[in-house]
Amino acid sequence: MNKLSVKQATELALEVGRILLQSGSATNRVEKMILKVCAGFGYPDTESYVTPTGIFISVNDSQGSISTSIKRIENRRIDLGKITQVSRLVTCLEEQDCPDGRSDMDAVKFSSELEIIDLKEAWPAWLRSLCGGATSGFFCLLFGGAWSEFGIAVLIGIIVSYGMKFLSKLSFNNFLLNALAAALIVFIAKFMDIYIPYIRLDNIIIGGIMLLVPGLSITNAIRDTMSGDLVSGTARGMEAVFITVGIVAGSGTMLKLWALWGY
Amino acid sequence: MKPFDMLTLMQFCWAFLAILGFSIRVNLKGIKILYTAISGGLCWAFYLIVLYYSRSMLFSVFIAIILVCIYAELVAPRLRTPVSVFVTCAIIPLVPGRGLFVSMQYYIAGNNVQASKSILETLLIAGTIAIAIAVVSSVTNLFHKMLNRF
Repeated sequence: MNKLSVKQATELALEVGRILLQSGSATNRVEKMILKVCAGFGYPDTESYVTPTGIFISVNDSQGSISTSIKRIENRRIDLGKITQVSRLVTCLEEQDCPDGRSDMDAVKFSSELEIIDLKEAWPAWLRSLCGGATSGFFCLLFGGAWSEFGIAVLIGIIVSYGMKFLSKLSFNNFLLNALAAALIVFIAKFMDIYIPYIRLDNIIIGGIMLLVPGLSITNAIRDTMSGDLVSGTARGMEAVFITVGIVAGSGTMLKLWALWGY
Repeated sequence: MKPFDMLTLMQFCWAFLAILGFSIRVNLKGIKILYTAISGGLCWAFYLIVLYYSRSMLFSVFIAIILVCIYAELVAPRLRTPVSVFVTCAIIPLVPGRGLFVSMQYYIAGNNVQASKSILETLLIAGTIAIAIAVVSSVTNLFHKMLNRF
C-alpha cells in the first residue's frame, strides 16, 4: 500500500470530522477520530483542534513540512446513527480487521464508504416522523395522560416532526427553529382543545416539548467540559440554554396569544 | 405508590416505547435501538423506585442517572458504539420538560413567587443530571487509566 499524499490524508480527515460534527458528536471524540484517520494513513504526527463550529488540523510530514487546514461547520443536527457508523469505520481502519472480514482498507474504499454513510438515510422520512409522534405520545402517557390525549399528542408529534424538517430546509438558526416548533405544538393543542372536550392540555404540550429538549447538548457539554475542552463545553452549554429559552419563548408567546384571543 | 407493582411496570413500558421512538428518530439502527430503549425505561424505573424509598427528587434523579450511565458504559463497548449515544438517549425521560413548561405558565400568569421556585427546581434537576454524568464519565476515565497501568 503506497502512502497517501498529505493533501489527500488531510481531506479524508476533514471529511470524517465534518460528518461527525454535523451529526452532533462530542468534540473530544472528533479530535481523537481525526488523529486516528491520519495515523491510519501514515501521518502519526498530527495535531487537531476542534470546536463545535470549526475544525483546525495540521499534518506533519516525515520531511518536517507542515500543512494546515481549516474547515467551517454549519447546520448541525442530531444524527446518532451517523456518529456510530463513522466511529465504527474509523475503528476498523485503526485495527485493520473487522467483524465483516475486511483485512486491509485503502483510501479509495475508505472515502467511498464515508460517502455512502454521508448520503444514506437510515430510515425513510415518514417512519421518522411517525416515531417522533410515538415519542411525544408515550411521553404524554408517562406524565399521566389519558388515551384521548395520547392520540392528540401523536398527531402533534408527527406534524411537528414534518414542520421541523421543512423549517430546517429554510436554514433557520437553532433558536428560531425551536421557538417556532414549540409555538406550533401549543397552537395545535389549543386548537384541538376547542373541538374536543375534557382534555388536559398540560400533558399534551409537555409530551410535545420533550421532542425538543436539548438532551444531546447537555450530554455533550458535560462530557466536553470533563475531558478538558473548556471552549466547546461552554459553547455547547450556551447552545442548550438558548434552545431552552427558545422553547419557552415560543410556547409562552403562543399561550399568551390564545389567552388574548379569549380561550 | 409501591415500587415494584404494575404501575411501575407500566411506566417502564411507556418510557421504553418513548425512547424506542426517539432512537429511531435520531437514525439509530439495528439491535442498538432495543438497548437504548431499555436504558430509557430503566432510567425512569430507577427514578421511581429510589423516589419511593428516599422521598427526595434530586437524590433519585442523581442515582437514576448514575445507574443508567454505568449501564451505558458497560453496554456501549460491546456494541461498538460511542458511549455518548447511549447516554443521550437514556437521560431524555428525566430532562425537566415539565418543570420548564410549568414555570413558564406561572410566569405568564404573573405569579412570580411560584415561577422562581419552579425555575430553581428545573435548574437544580438539570444541574443534578450534569453532575451525575460528569461523575460517571470521570470515574470511568480513571478506571480505564488504572487498567492500562497495571
